[in-house]
Parts: sequence; C-alpha cells; structure tokens
Amino acid sequence: MRVRHGELLLVMGFTGIMVTLFLAWEWAPSVSIDAFESPEAQRIFYWHVPAAWAAFIAFSVLFIGSALWVFKRSPVGWRLHVAGSEASLACGLMAVWSGCVWGAAEWGTPWDWTDVRLNTFGLLTLLALFLVLGRQSQPDGIESRDTFSTFGLYGFVLVPITYVATRIWQIRHPGPVIGGGEESSLSSDMGLVLLLGAISFTILIAGHMIMSIRITEYEQRLERLQNKVDGRI
Amino acid sequence: MEGMTYLAIAYLGMILGLGIWTWTVVSRSINLQSRIKALEDSLGLEGFESDILASEVNDGEEN
Repeated sequence: MRVRHGELLLVMGFTGIMVTLFLAWEWAPSVSIDAFESPEAQRIFYWHVPAAWAAFIAFSVLFIGSALWVFKRSPVGWRLHVAGSEASLACGLMAVWSGCVWGAAEWGTPWDWTDVRLNTFGLLTLLALFLVLGRQSQPDGIESRDTFSTFGLYGFVLVPITYVATRIWQIRHPGPVIGGGEESSLSSDMGLVLLLGAISFTILIAGHMIMSIRITEYEQRLERLQNKVDGRI
Repeated sequence: MEGMTYLAIAYLGMILGLGIWTWTVVSRSINLQSRIKALEDSLGLEGFESDILASEVNDGEEN
C-alpha cells in the first residue's frame, strides 16, 4: 500500500495538537492570579505560540519559494510559494484570532494599534491573505507569478522585525517566553506542553504544505490535459 | 465574560479554522485526482510535464 506522507503528517499533527490541548486544559499548571487579569485565559498560549511559530516557518517557506521562482524560474519554487502562502495565512489567522481573544480577556481590548509586534504580524497575515486571494483571482501566468513572488520575497522583511519587536519595543504584547533572558523562564511543565504544541504544529503544517504542493502539481497537470482536450497543444 | 469563556472561544475558533483549512485541502486534492483520472482515461494518457509555464520560460532562456 502506498504511504501518503502528507496525510500521515496531517494525522500525526492533529493528534499532537489535540494532546497539547488536553494537557493545556487539564495538566499544565495555572499561572499566578496576581500576575494576570485573566489567569484562565492564559492557557490560550499553548496553541497561540505554536501557531505563530508555525506561521514563521510557513513565511520562511514562502520566502524561499518566492526567491527560487524570481531568480531561477524554478517550478518547485512556485509550488513552495503557493504552499507557504496558504500555510502562512492559516497559521497567521489562528495566531491573530487567539491573540485577539486573549487580549480582550487580559487587556480589555483585542488589539493595540501602537504595539509593533501586533501590527507587523497583522501585516504579515494580510500579505498572506493578499497572496492567496490574488492568486485565486488571477489567471496563472509568468507576470502574475513574478508579482506575487516579489511580494513574498520583500514581505519577508517583516519577519525579523516581528521577531525582535517585543525585545526592542515592549508596548503591550508580552516579552519572549523562550530565549529572552531571565524574565522569559517558564516552568518545566509549561515548557513541555508548549514544546509538544510547537512540534505538533510543525508536523501539521509540513503535512499541509506537502498536500498543497501536490495540489499545485495536480492543477498544472489538469491544465495541460484540458489544453490537450481543447486541441491547443 | 469569564476567563474560561474566552479560553473556549479561542480554542473553538482555532479548531474551526483548522477543520475548514484541512477539509478544503483534502477535498481539493480528491476532486483534482478524480478529474485528472477521468481525463487521462478518456485520452488514454499518463503523466505530463507538470509546470508548463516554468518549462516555457526555461526553454526560452536556453534558446
């Protein structure tokens, strides 16, 4: 029997994130009541942080794919661009949604237009939305691929800015929970659940991107076949 | 609203988003496979060069 890697990774990823959810809800320790306005809502972060992590991986794939298309005209690069933009949009929306709900619970407002981290990440998600919707509304052609790949290439500049934003300008979004010095220390149980979430989301988007690459191949093959049927080739 | 309500809204939204995304990808894949198979069967063909645009560009650059 032929093993489908995409589907296998999807199932593994889903299983992992559901286990993460269960552990976040039932097992992970509560935070100090004094430190948070809404300590229960803090458990959102066990999916919020991994979703944002997965979005950064997807934006990196989008960048690599865009560069390969722009500089090498690589068909693999275009498929990576498509897969990266779709995964960026899905993970970006999950991170924005969960962040807004947590903001409403903790800050009393879902968004802060003065916070650099929120706004640069929001822009990245809007970029992914533009790439996905734009590609679906335009006929596939060299010019449209060049345009979307250029956006994917230069839009990546927002990724390092988003990453360092809370280290340089900590306005509303909390500082880094990992790798941010003494203030970023997590309890080992929290860190374990967060690690499981990050691994699971990584596996899940890997499965999604493999499937997306396959779908792009199918679409191109179908176009060739339809052209053949129409007698254009 | 209580903190647990916010927690439930956040997770339900993300589960819904993940479900829609996965359903869309899987159903597109199945739909395209069946359309390709039907066309290939009707033409008696197997396998095509997959990216016509890239091959056109690369051919043009080689020439």
